[in-house]
Amino acid sequence: MGRHLLTRYDDIVHAEKLPEVFSSREEGSLLRTVGPNMLREDDPDHRRLRAAAEPPTRPRQVRDLWAGTFERTAHELLDRIADRGEADLIRDFAEPLVAANLALVLLGLRNASADDIAAWSRAMMDGNSNYADDPDIWLRAERATRAIEEAVAEMVDITRREPDGSVISSMVHAPEPMELAEIQNNVKVVIGGGVNEPRDVFGVGAWALLRRPDVLDRVLGDPGLWKRVFEETARWISPIGMYPRQLTQDYEIAGVTLSAGSRVALVIASGNRDEAVFERADEFDVARPHRPHLAFGGGPHFCMGAWVARHEVSALAWPLVFGRLKGLGPTDSAEDRLEGWVFRGLTSLNVTWQAA
Amino acid sequence: MPIVIFELPDGTERKVTAASGTVLMQAAVSNGVEGIVAECGGNASCATCHVYVDGRHTELVGPPNEVEDEMLDFTAAERRPTSRLSCQIQISDALDGLVVHVPEEQV
Repeated sequence: MGRHLLTRYDDIVHAEKLPEVFSSREEGSLLRTVGPNMLREDDPDHRRLRAAAEPPTRPRQVRDLWAGTFERTAHELLDRIADRGEADLIRDFAEPLVAANLALVLLGLRNASADDIAAWSRAMMDGNSNYADDPDIWLRAERATRAIEEAVAEMVDITRREPDGSVISSMVHAPEPMELAEIQNNVKVVIGGGVNEPRDVFGVGAWALLRRPDVLDRVLGDPGLWKRVFEETARWISPIGMYPRQLTQDYEIAGVTLSAGSRVALVIASGNRDEAVFERADEFDVARPHRPHLAFGGGPHFCMGAWVARHEVSALAWPLVFGRLKGLGPTDSAEDRLEGWVFRGLTSLNVTWQAA
Repeated sequence: MPIVIFELPDGTERKVTAASGTVLMQAAVSNGVEGIVAECGGNASCATCHVYVDGRHTELVGPPNEVEDEMLDFTAAERRPTSRLSCQIQISDALDGLVVHVPEEQV
């Protein structure tokens, strides 16, 4: 892959806190599908874009503005499947939930459906991890990005006249407003990550608990533990396994001197299992001592969706699913459907329960 | 250069220098003060550089700014009237001798 891999916790943290050396401005597949965007910018350009987009994702906004709608959507999705007694919790619940939360609420893309968003996200993410250069995957990704551009352009016009508190509206009305193309590209990034990352944390965490009934009982008896389940799930199988950086200068790290221009991969999947930091790192243990994990990244690019994801998954999705669907159990081991190393999660999670 | 003191949850003190014009969080991170995590590197996005300003110095340090005030509702350790995010405290000569207490948890 032509990259040096940083796999230890301390080295990854070090690199994340030195963005002037470990630059985000790297040519690559993300730029091909999405175009220039804040994930692949350094400050001050990154800061301008992030500051414009971020306000609606901050925790008080999530709690005061979005939480009610998130919860209604979650109940509606569960109402649809509750009588069936079986479902794929990824396809039938988590993905439509996070897509609706993201598109219809947070981004303010009221001119799209949750299904559109989920499909666009999949097509783009397949493109972003298309290291095999499959032309069909590129074509589908390009169709998705064009559809997003059209939907965003329409909402930019509408929110210019009527601000609605959404991320698009925030970008339109920022003190340093963004160009249309900048808004379009950054919405693409949010749709890409905003669907699969919370979906995958939901799926992996639910799967981990279904296979550990004793832990599940403990959590159900002490709902304050859902937060620990979230952080431990994000550590144990972080939904982003690695991301790239490129060196702006010669630099020595971990005893190796890398030359300017070297491509580097920060391997979060490895750093989060570093035995020097996390004892019995391969085990899923909600009671382990609290140490910060790397799943949200660090430094100026610290995950913008962190507070949204924490709320929708740990305060909402898991407690509702395990609270409403009685006698929930997996129908198979699901282990063989744990895929990916850039983006990682279960592709499906089939379960049964006692239908009402 | 101003000297600032971090009192850790176990009662030990870390005395470090902090350059004027930087922020308190940087003094902690560059000196490896345990318990100041600062995941987001100083952008008030993560709430993991939380400190309690010592009672003697709260007026001198002043209240949190608007963005910080919001984030302080979501710290891992309880919010108190003296809570601040150390990435939002600008170091100046006036803060020489500042004492802050590091909470038990940041994540």
